[in-house]
Amino acid sequence: MMADALDMVRICDLSEIGEEILKVSLEGHKPLGVTCLDGIYYVFPDTCPHANESLSKGWIEDGRVVCPVHFAEFELGNGAVHNGPSGCARLTFYECEARIDGLYARLTS
Amino acid sequence: MCEHDQCTSHAGQKPDMRPVYPKAGSYPHFAKLVDTQKAQVDRKVFHDQEIYEAELRQIFGRAWLFLAHESQIPEPGDFLRTYMGEDNVIVVRQRDRSVNAFLNSCPHRGNRVCMVDAGKKARGFICNYHGWSFGIDGGLRGTDGKVYDSDATFDKGSIGLTPVAQIASYKGLIFATFDPDAPSLEEFLGDFTWYLDVMLDNDEGGTEFIGGAIKSVIDCNWKFPAENFVGDILHAFWTHQSGAQAILGGGVDLGARYDELAFQASVYGHGIETNLDKVGNTRTLGYPELVDYVFSRQKAMADRLGEVRARMVGAVSSATVFPNFSFLPGQATFRVWHPRGPDKIELVVWTLVNKNMPEHIKELYRKGVMMTFSPAGVFEMDDGENWEYSTRVNQGFVTRQQPLHYALGVGTRDDSRDLPGIIHKGSLNDANQRLFYTRWAEFMRFDNWHDLQNGETAPPQRMAQRQAAE
Ligand code: FES
Ligand code: FES
Ligand SMILES: [Fe+2]
Repeated sequence: MMADALDMVRICDLSEIGEEILKVSLEGHKPLGVTCLDGIYYVFPDTCPHANESLSKGWIEDGRVVCPVHFAEFELGNGAVHNGPSGCARLTFYECEARIDGLYARLTS
Repeated sequence: MCEHDQCTSHAGQKPDMRPVYPKAGSYPHFAKLVDTQKAQVDRKVFHDQEIYEAELRQIFGRAWLFLAHESQIPEPGDFLRTYMGEDNVIVVRQRDRSVNAFLNSCPHRGNRVCMVDAGKKARGFICNYHGWSFGIDGGLRGTDGKVYDSDATFDKGSIGLTPVAQIASYKGLIFATFDPDAPSLEEFLGDFTWYLDVMLDNDEGGTEFIGGAIKSVIDCNWKFPAENFVGDILHAFWTHQSGAQAILGGGVDLGARYDELAFQASVYGHGIETNLDKVGNTRTLGYPELVDYVFSRQKAMADRLGEVRARMVGAVSSATVFPNFSFLPGQATFRVWHPRGPDKIELVVWTLVNKNMPEHIKELYRKGVMMTFSPAGVFEMDDGENWEYSTRVNQGFVTRQQPLHYALGVGTRDDSRDLPGIIHKGSLNDANQRLFYTRWAEFMRFDNWHDLQNGETAPPQRMAQRQAAE
């Protein structure tokens, strides 16, 4: 448990996170999307599983991340796809944790 | 673009995807088909394919054209699809609440990006062909297939749906033009706004369209309905007599004070004929309650617009904004005659009411328009067949060499009345129709807006100012 927690990467300050989708680029990682809804934080790849467009240019609507390009909708938390173009995979959500000094997430591959 | 393989000058460069707004030309030989001296219009203008193509370039490529009423697209993302000439456009409310309009054609292979007539809260428009996706601001948001990721020449930011060159509203009515050099909408309408206000500004609350749009197709040249509404009340006595009998139990009536009151006004080819009889048109909708309603508002409307225009609101009257946007005060029907070749139009009709009207009054207007001026309406049916034959007969080679008579009311110009525009006495007159075709000829002849706004159809004050300046 302890060792796992150490694998978590600091993403950003909590104060930077709002109800929009924040794009965060960290050295050695693909760009991330970060948002907060009803006090719960979410971290996911910024790259849309459908055609690589940037999800941070999209928005949150009814508890879903909406891709601004072909309007695939991904449920916050489990990543299930709604209204997606055919073949659109689900969105990965990373385990994350709010700490005093910022938001941390375990960036699995 | 270079088409030779051996030419490499364009290799690796970004394609130029900027919008193209066509330049006007000059067609003096077509302009001559309207003979103002002899008060004649050559029938070729209703038949000839080349003239039709010139109309698309000279008129529909440049004039301010009616798109929509603000009330049809109240919220960001609300949109509708319409035409400017034969060009299909999407009109969409932006996030900052302004309105913009774009050609409904994908810059990739040209496919339509919007298939439905209208909708609410669109997120954007996705092309069906290869999945290019456009925001409601027209910009290309992204593509499909990830293939463009590795193409260095692909510049999303420089690609988008082609916006109209200019877009503007006049008291709720949205117009646009494809000509970046066109003067402002108000300059294009000129003094005719004084007459538009009869319908658009007789109440402080403003106006709205109600009940959706009714569409139909008529096999006629677009200019026949446009000239009919610009100033042909003459036809009502014959064409609409039986319909009027059925609804009113009596004939068409221009009011007891016709000689004193009736007139035609024309500004830049836009025109209105009116009989100032207060309720003649409203009466034909068949609901006495509507007539009472218009009467009950006479004082309030006179306070707002003055005595003359208060009498116009429900009167026997018709109007066209050049080239193809028409309405009937009193009957509250507004319409566009979209050209579909020289011998076909697509007609779209709406009902305009004041927002502040009681709901049951709005409902009566809606039903009244449906029963009179819709594809199944008593009066619309009367008109359509006439325009179809007026068009179709010109397939006859000999027939179309024959002159047409546009000379009713030559010599009835009346400069004594204090009204904006070129005024002719009496509504039973071809004056506005002659000026409509004079405007048509100006559009054929002139390749620039200075000449277009200072020709024979310009309002008298404008001409006077210009002569004083010279
Ligand atoms: S790129 Fe996100 S849905 Fe197509
Ligand atoms: S034609 Fe629109 S994406 Fe190809
Ligand atoms: Fe008519």
